[in-house]
Amino acid sequence: MRPAWSYSRRIGRVIARSSVACVFDAVSVALPLTLAAPTAVGAPQGDVISRGAYLAAAAGCDQCHTDSKNNGQPYAGGRALATPFGTFYSPNVTPDPETGIGRWSEAQFLRALRDGVRPDGSNYFPVFPYPSFTEITDDDVRAIKAFLVAQPAVRRSNRAHDVAFPFSLRFLQTGWKLLFFSPGPFRPKPERGEAYNRGAYLVTALAHCGDCHTPRNWFGATEPSRFLAGTSHGPDGKAVPNITPDPDTGIGDWSEQDIVTLLKDGQTPDFDFVGGAMADVVKNTSRLDDADRHAIAVYLKALPPIRSEKKAR
Amino acid sequence: MLSINKSRSLGATAALLLATTTAIALAQDKETVLKNRQTTMKEQGADLKNVKDYLDGKGDLAKAKEGAANLTQTTKKIPELFPPGTGGPNPTGDYVAKPVIWTDWDKFLDAQKTAAAKADALLVAVNGGDKTAIETAYSDLGKNGCGGCHTTFREKIEK
Repeated sequence: MRPAWSYSRRIGRVIARSSVACVFDAVSVALPLTLAAPTAVGAPQGDVISRGAYLAAAAGCDQCHTDSKNNGQPYAGGRALATPFGTFYSPNVTPDPETGIGRWSEAQFLRALRDGVRPDGSNYFPVFPYPSFTEITDDDVRAIKAFLVAQPAVRRSNRAHDVAFPFSLRFLQTGWKLLFFSPGPFRPKPERGEAYNRGAYLVTALAHCGDCHTPRNWFGATEPSRFLAGTSHGPDGKAVPNITPDPDTGIGDWSEQDIVTLLKDGQTPDFDFVGGAMADVVKNTSRLDDADRHAIAVYLKALPPIRSEKKAR
Repeated sequence: MLSINKSRSLGATAALLLATTTAIALAQDKETVLKNRQTTMKEQGADLKNVKDYLDGKGDLAKAKEGAANLTQTTKKIPELFPPGTGGPNPTGDYVAKPVIWTDWDKFLDAQKTAAAKADALLVAVNGGDKTAIETAYSDLGKNGCGGCHTTFREKIEK
């Protein structure tokens, strides 16, 4: 565990910088609107709801939006997410008109995932991974919404986040976005081939692997230079392994097939079975098709290896 | 007066000695327990590998059968690998057993019984010889049997 003083020092710095954020907010910076996204990269075909179900599994929506620990209804929210800034409670994303997203237009849903903006115009906290979801194609976002609104509506009012002042101020997020958020669709690298690009899209946009596997800075933003290099202070204060191909501290000695097996069965090359949050991820990745699991493996193996302090497991 | 004091201090010394030796004995005991636990889990890994190797066309059926049979035995032994007081620090491993095992022992037993039932199902599948059925049973045991316990009852430790 990180000592308490380390948090208070961090908080001190955040307060110092957040005055900067206030200034940014005061000048009311308009965020650039995102460009039209390219069409889906190799996403499975079929009717829009089952396509949405597949994409929702890839994105792991249920992991935060279902409070499975307390036997919560699917997608009805309420799961506690402990962070250094406080505890967030996920919102209800079932189609209930009063407490869920039943009255949301497609444009509002798109704006939430793409720009991190709530229907009332205020900002989401980046605990909602919109900095990753901004890369999801419009078609895929629409399919996810179609799937969600086809789920049983559950009436469950959202619980207020338990986040300390000044982090609780949503308007400060405008400054945060200016510093750390670059909206825009996924940009494939045609020279790297189809599997790599599909894998890149899955890892960075839909599955948002970096939200757990990349360390975060004092503002809770992921550090691009340490992309997927693991962190000892991941969600709920747990350690998360390095999944770059570094041979000593990452998964450089894993084959593509080893990665596919982990995503399918949760089994590591030494025949251990993952637990913790990754076991929940595997419940979703085991529902993907083999081509997508393979694409993830191709992309991960092609990443630049980054050394970390600790051995991955 | 003096003799009473003396006998008192002797008694205290004896008590202290007893407490210390008990503590050492318990500590050694925990070490043995942890070692046994790790060994059994690694054996289970090796048994699973025998099944997986057969599925991947790298190993023979006899070994897969042996592995699956072993798993039906070792998954049933799991409760005795977790006597009370054997959570907490684990100097030789990467993981610790979570306290919830002992505060909610019935839930732990449920998870263990699930794993044991899935191991039984795997043995039936392996004896049946149908690769698709073996693969399904294998995947189910790993993800929901082994993984089921590791999710709720095991925690990675910072080193």
